[in-house]
Amino acid sequence: MPDTLDTHVRFGSNSGQPITRRDGRAKVTGGATFAADNSPDSVLHAVYVPATIARGRVTALDTAAAEAHPGVTHVVTPQNRPPLQGDPSDKPTMFSFRFEALQDDTVRYAGQPIALILGETLEAATEGARLLNPRYEIATPRTGLDEAAHYTFDPDAFGKPADTVHGDPEAGHAAAAHSVDVTYETAPQYHNAMETHAVVASWDGDRLSLDMPSQALSMTCAGIAYYFGIPAENVTLRSPYLGGGFGSKAIPTGPYVLAVLAARMTGRPVKMMLTRQQMFGPVGHRGQTRQRLRLGTDAEGRLTVLDHAGLSATSTFDDFIEPAANASQGLYAAGALRSTHSAVRLDVGTPGPMRAPGEASGSAALECAMDEMAETLGMDPLEFRLRNYAETEPGTGKPFSSKALRECYAQGAERFGWADRPLQPGQMRDADGLRVGWGMGTAFFPCPMFMAEANATLRADGTAMVETSAADMGQGAWTALAQIAADSLGLPLDQVEFRAGHSGLPDAGVAGGSGHTATAGSALHAAGGDVIRQLGEIAAADPDSPLHGAGNAGFTARDGRLYVAGDDSRSDAFADILARAGGAEVSGAGSASRAPEAAEAHAMNAHGAVFAEVKVDPDLCQMRVTRLVGAFAAGRIINPRLAESQLYGGMIWGLSFALHEEARHDPARGHIVNADLAGYHVPVNADVHGLDVISVHEDDPYVNALGVKGVGEIGITGTVGAIGNAIWHATGKRVRRFPIRIDDLLGD
Amino acid sequence: MYNFDFERPKSVADAVKALQTEEAQPLGGGQTLIPTLKQRLAMPSKLVSLAGIDEIKGVCKDDQNRLCIGGGTVHRVIAEKAMSEGFPGLTGLASKIGDPAVRNRGTIGGSLANNDPSACYPAAAMATGATIVTDRREIAADDYFKGLFETALEEGEIITEVKMPIPEASAYMKFEQPASRFPLVGVFVARFSDRVGVGVTGASESGVFRWTEAERALGSDFSADAVKGLSVPADGMISDLHGTAEYRAHLVGVMTRRAVAAAQ
Ligand SMILES: Cc1cc2nc3c(=O)[nH]c(=O)nc-3n(C[C@H](O)[C@H](O)[C@H](O)COP(=O)(O)OP(=O)(O)OC[C@H]3O[C@@H](n4cnc5c(N)ncnc54)[C@H](O)[C@@H]3O)c2cc1C
Repeated sequence: MPDTLDTHVRFGSNSGQPITRRDGRAKVTGGATFAADNSPDSVLHAVYVPATIARGRVTALDTAAAEAHPGVTHVVTPQNRPPLQGDPSDKPTMFSFRFEALQDDTVRYAGQPIALILGETLEAATEGARLLNPRYEIATPRTGLDEAAHYTFDPDAFGKPADTVHGDPEAGHAAAAHSVDVTYETAPQYHNAMETHAVVASWDGDRLSLDMPSQALSMTCAGIAYYFGIPAENVTLRSPYLGGGFGSKAIPTGPYVLAVLAARMTGRPVKMMLTRQQMFGPVGHRGQTRQRLRLGTDAEGRLTVLDHAGLSATSTFDDFIEPAANASQGLYAAGALRSTHSAVRLDVGTPGPMRAPGEASGSAALECAMDEMAETLGMDPLEFRLRNYAETEPGTGKPFSSKALRECYAQGAERFGWADRPLQPGQMRDADGLRVGWGMGTAFFPCPMFMAEANATLRADGTAMVETSAADMGQGAWTALAQIAADSLGLPLDQVEFRAGHSGLPDAGVAGGSGHTATAGSALHAAGGDVIRQLGEIAAADPDSPLHGAGNAGFTARDGRLYVAGDDSRSDAFADILARAGGAEVSGAGSASRAPEAAEAHAMNAHGAVFAEVKVDPDLCQMRVTRLVGAFAAGRIINPRLAESQLYGGMIWGLSFALHEEARHDPARGHIVNADLAGYHVPVNADVHGLDVISVHEDDPYVNALGVKGVGEIGITGTVGAIGNAIWHATGKRVRRFPIRIDDLLGD
Repeated sequence: MYNFDFERPKSVADAVKALQTEEAQPLGGGQTLIPTLKQRLAMPSKLVSLAGIDEIKGVCKDDQNRLCIGGGTVHRVIAEKAMSEGFPGLTGLASKIGDPAVRNRGTIGGSLANNDPSACYPAAAMATGATIVTDRREIAADDYFKGLFETALEEGEIITEVKMPIPEASAYMKFEQPASRFPLVGVFVARFSDRVGVGVTGASESGVFRWTEAERALGSDFSADAVKGLSVPADGMISDLHGTAEYRAHLVGVMTRRAVAAAQ
């Protein structure tokens, strides 16, 4: 990638600097190559036909009409689909989904691929797809939470959340002097990254080359390889730029496998890019939930029990159960805590991880239930949360690795002006007569680490190259990770070439769980450290170096020089050390994961507090979020500009969750009626008025060597509840369903 | 895209002739029809563009104080001319249709012929008691609109002109659907010396309608308070993902009051 850095003021290290994203200029000038921008010679275009019903069977396809259309080269249906080596109905790994790749004629959800057309042009393939004119035998679709039986399941690590109980919930209920028992619902949501799913696949013998957006490159290679019976290392995946992922671009799904299969079948490169409408079906979504929260407190407002039962929708053929109830673990100091999950099978595509899976929907319900509890107690909602502040992890008693939530509450409340909030709802009006309400919620997100590897090479001229297969989904990994790498090598950022986004590089793990900077960053940090260690050995052993014999004291690297630790008068330039050693390069490797002991010793989470102001038109019931203030403590911030941007994005996502996003199913056929961005509204600038982020300082010696927690998802949590609570505060009406619709406020 | 014939006649007479082919369809500004073709909800064999016919473009005032708008006049021109001819209520309506691209291409004839249940002009046509002029006859607004996307137009009939009596005071209020800016409900209120017209679009399952109860109340007292107690039943109102029937019924009242207040 060309170095597009602006000059900036540096204060010693690269980390902590608000550097603009290094890929920004390439993106806004059109220089960035996204997957579908690749058009190899003789490429064929693939278009799949999505089922327009949610349940039933395909009874007829006009394959002859499609085949006869000029430019159409192949029509692939369950009748003639070449075999796959791995069965898409299987789950080869914990992280695999079952999916449709034309196994049979059953329709299990609307948008399911039911045929694939290949053409010399996109237009020909699109027309061929239309000419197929599928006919169906239609069965009654089940798309509502009560339209099928609810079930429980044995947990596993991905998609089937375990139930968690601490203390004695029944005793907690019995002991409660005050209680609330409320049920909240959240709607199905679809990721809808700006860049829709896309792939360009070509085969060379049994080697596969892929241009596709991926937020987990090596996992994607292994995933795809399985279905084609080749080793993962035979797959080369390039994913330099992604137009957003949000969790949907980590695990291969049916459309990808069909495109790769088409390339193998034809011996030609195949390109497929999903339309916006096709994003609503086979590529994951956030399943709808219904959550019952039963809270009890003693007379002083201390929680005796926090009891959270979640019901989540999944598909009829696989389980991804939005782990909403888990949001009640780890946050408030309740005498007893219980999180349980059940599920219901609907005629929808299998849900998957969508930005803050579980935390987003769980926090929405939890923070509203907390507000309702505070109302019942006649307490200020912030005061109520402080009364239940957890000094150690609730249930386990583990110490927190760090927790500056109190500071988040204080700084957020101060900036927002929370102290002036009337306790009762319906008290405030603005100059135009609009109702004004203020609400708040706590933000909370775990800080996991996965596994990652990285290499670093110091070149003879004293510059460096670092490598890891990191994924920049737009969050800024190209920039923040490069900052970490440069610091680990003691070099200015512009002296470090950063290679990422390619499966041939050391595995950077998954850009997910808000853990990419922590994980891939730690691997880079270790790789750079390894180089510096070796360089120190060379220098210490070199009689001509000012560092000769100083190996025991240890070295620090800064601005391209090695210094004796604690003695700035003795130093040597990287390039000089290497020149004297014969001009060789020094290469180092690093890996990162969290040691199980470390994970056991401390509870590790990021925290925050979000405050919302809404205005409601008393005649129209129109709602506007006029101010959002979020204060977050998430460990060390590598790049404040990018971190702030992530937190803004998270809070806007929360706004969207609270007021806009909802896929609505047609009751008769089960398809999604608003499967485009006109009907499925995501916020635009006109929806977002005041947005304010405060980064609260936090040092964490335990999460990882860098002290980095993660900011990718936490902004959603707290925000949804804050907005819901603000709407109650404006109107006196509790709407226990998200998104809150305009007509929900009618008649007050 | 599939193949079709295309003609661009210069006169209404030639256009009428060109439209005699089976499955031929007139093309106005294409702001509705072209997306419809793309989605293949319509597949005419021939498109007859009306864009080259000068005789159906332009706006003037006749001796009965009616604004005479050529069927091929685009929204932007209507917005400008209605203002200078003393009909600001129509300017308000036309200047808030879609975006500048839509307003520079889309025509009043296309809008009235299409009769989208959420289109804006039908509300003005009903409220003012407009006359729809075609290549073969004149149709009163009350007889013209026949429900959702249905009108009195025959096969191949072209709207050449719309004659709208200019009210003494008028205003249009629409509650915008945020993505398209089409009205969820739009109300046009027009006050004449002897009567008041209230046209409601976007609300009813039977398309645009006149809210006669409000017209009567406003006829004796043209104030927002006069319609305060009135409401339309939710029965028969459109219910969709943007709002329930109850909500639309509620909006009819609110939008009417706001339009009356704005027309003062
Ligand atoms: C983004 C967007 C937002 C919009 N928002 C609004 C809005 O807020 N309010 C609103 O009212 N409209 C809105 N519209 C629709 C717009 O007003 C269209 O221009 C109008 O509905 C159609 O006019 P047209 O000239 O483009 O007709 P076309 O699309 O060319 O044709 C529409 C139909 O009318 C027929 N037709 C066209 N001209 C004539 C004629 N002279 N005689 C007989 N039949 C004819 C055609 O055969 C076709 O069936 C919006 C459109 C877009 C794209």
